Amino acid sequence: MSWLNVARLSDLSPEYPAACSVQGHRLAVYLVDGAVYATSNICTHQFALLSDGYQENGEIECPLHQGRFDIRSGKALCSPLSVDLATYEVDVRGDEVWVHIPDAGH
Amino acid sequence: MSDVAVREQRIQWPEAGVSRVPFEIYTDEPLYEGEQDLLFKGPIWNFVGVDVEVPAIGDFKTNFVGDTPVVVVKSSADTYSAFVNRCAHRGSTLCYEKTGNRDAFTCVYHNWSYDLEGNLKTVAFHKGVRGKGGLPDDFRTCDHNLQKLRVQELCGLLFVSFDEAAPDLETFLGPKMVAHIRRIFSKKVRILGTFSQYMHNNWKLYMENVKDSYHASLLHTFFTTFKLNRLSMQGGLVLEGDGGHHISYSKMATDSGSGTDYESGSLRAQNDEFALHDDRILKSWPEFEDGITHAIQGIFPNLIVQQIQNSLALRLLIPRGVNGCELVWIMFGFESDTQEQTDIRVALSNLVGPAGLVSMEDGVIGSFVQRAIVGNQGRETVLEMGGRSVESQESRVSEASVRGFWQTYRKYMGL
Repeated sequence: MSWLNVARLSDLSPEYPAACSVQGHRLAVYLVDGAVYATSNICTHQFALLSDGYQENGEIECPLHQGRFDIRSGKALCSPLSVDLATYEVDVRGDEVWVHIPDAGH
Repeated sequence: MSDVAVREQRIQWPEAGVSRVPFEIYTDEPLYEGEQDLLFKGPIWNFVGVDVEVPAIGDFKTNFVGDTPVVVVKSSADTYSAFVNRCAHRGSTLCYEKTGNRDAFTCVYHNWSYDLEGNLKTVAFHKGVRGKGGLPDDFRTCDHNLQKLRVQELCGLLFVSFDEAAPDLETFLGPKMVAHIRRIFSKKVRILGTFSQYMHNNWKLYMENVKDSYHASLLHTFFTTFKLNRLSMQGGLVLEGDGGHHISYSKMATDSGSGTDYESGSLRAQNDEFALHDDRILKSWPEFEDGITHAIQGIFPNLIVQQIQNSLALRLLIPRGVNGCELVWIMFGFESDTQEQTDIRVALSNLVGPAGLVSMEDGVIGSFVQRAIVGNQGRETVLEMGGRSVESQESRVSEASVRGFWQTYRKYMGL
């Protein structure tokens, strides 16, 4: 099973990401213009939780050094970032948000 | 209330001028604080390092200007930047290492982060978390950069200044001092090693010792006994401008000690019973065409450029409170040196440093003074060798460059 139920759609906010921890994976789950996206919750620059960051215009800004990622693609948009963020495939089933974790195995 | 800080003038300089120095000058706490502001942060240039210590972009070195911690960093291909080693947020030390490489300077306390020029780039949680907390909307990062210093370079020597009013570096040094620096630093430097020593005396006692060419062959048994530096050699004192900077030099090949106190054996520092089992320690080669074998250059207020035969060094003196100081030695040669030349420089470096065959006495003599002047306030030191004035002299039996130091010190300190 590589699809995991990580959040409820009704709990998500367009203001800031939700932090989810499933099977050792730390995810940030976003609501952008009514669509749901998921990325790693750990900044690629230094250890910081993006769920503590600032979400605006489809971008997430890391709280530590203000590096910004595109929520849809995970692309690193500015310094000090040099590595893109891992993104995850999302499937919304009713109120359930399912995320595809490639190495979740089984 | 006046918004101008009025510093109470507690020390009255003797009417005799610079041939007298009041002992309180080495013991007075408020004066020490005044030196930090008026002298070290005044319109002067302070040596902080050598370009080869920070060769790549992002390479930094921490050091001190007076007792203020600073960072000097190579911030672009042809630029050096310097700033106080103190976060603009809460004042924490920004950089703990002596040297290293960074792409940014980030404070461990709250993660405020600065670029290589000291500009504040990012503030952790500046927008708070989930819309709560964070900085006010009108907070401007550009108002909270590190405290920046000016940086200028001469022959790879990096100097910094706190004061916009400081003249440019070469004007501050003067033509004779610049020429001597160019004489020594004519090739790419290779640092052979660094070390530091703590001395239990006011920093100015060590600078006086450096500028006192009279003492060298009297205090230092090794110099005199092995005929490395005696007052009977050709030499002299070169003073620059108002006397703050000096060079004391001698030529070993010109010793004419016959008929002097050296020959009569009356000097404590001459001990003919001393001999070296292995004299390779004193091997040297004639390095400079001018024949000068011993040249000590004192750059006001606290830098020394040393040539003792082929032992070359920079010494930076850091004040550590009114009763202490730390002397940082940078021993160097040149990239173009042969292995034999490097070996000679390293062997000769046994003469200097905290346990140096010569320098160990300089490391302790200041504390002999410091401990004796306690409780003897109102009295003063006597500086009349070579007269009572400040000028270049043919003789090193002179305290002219010590008087020059005080003349310049009084100018900056308003004493």
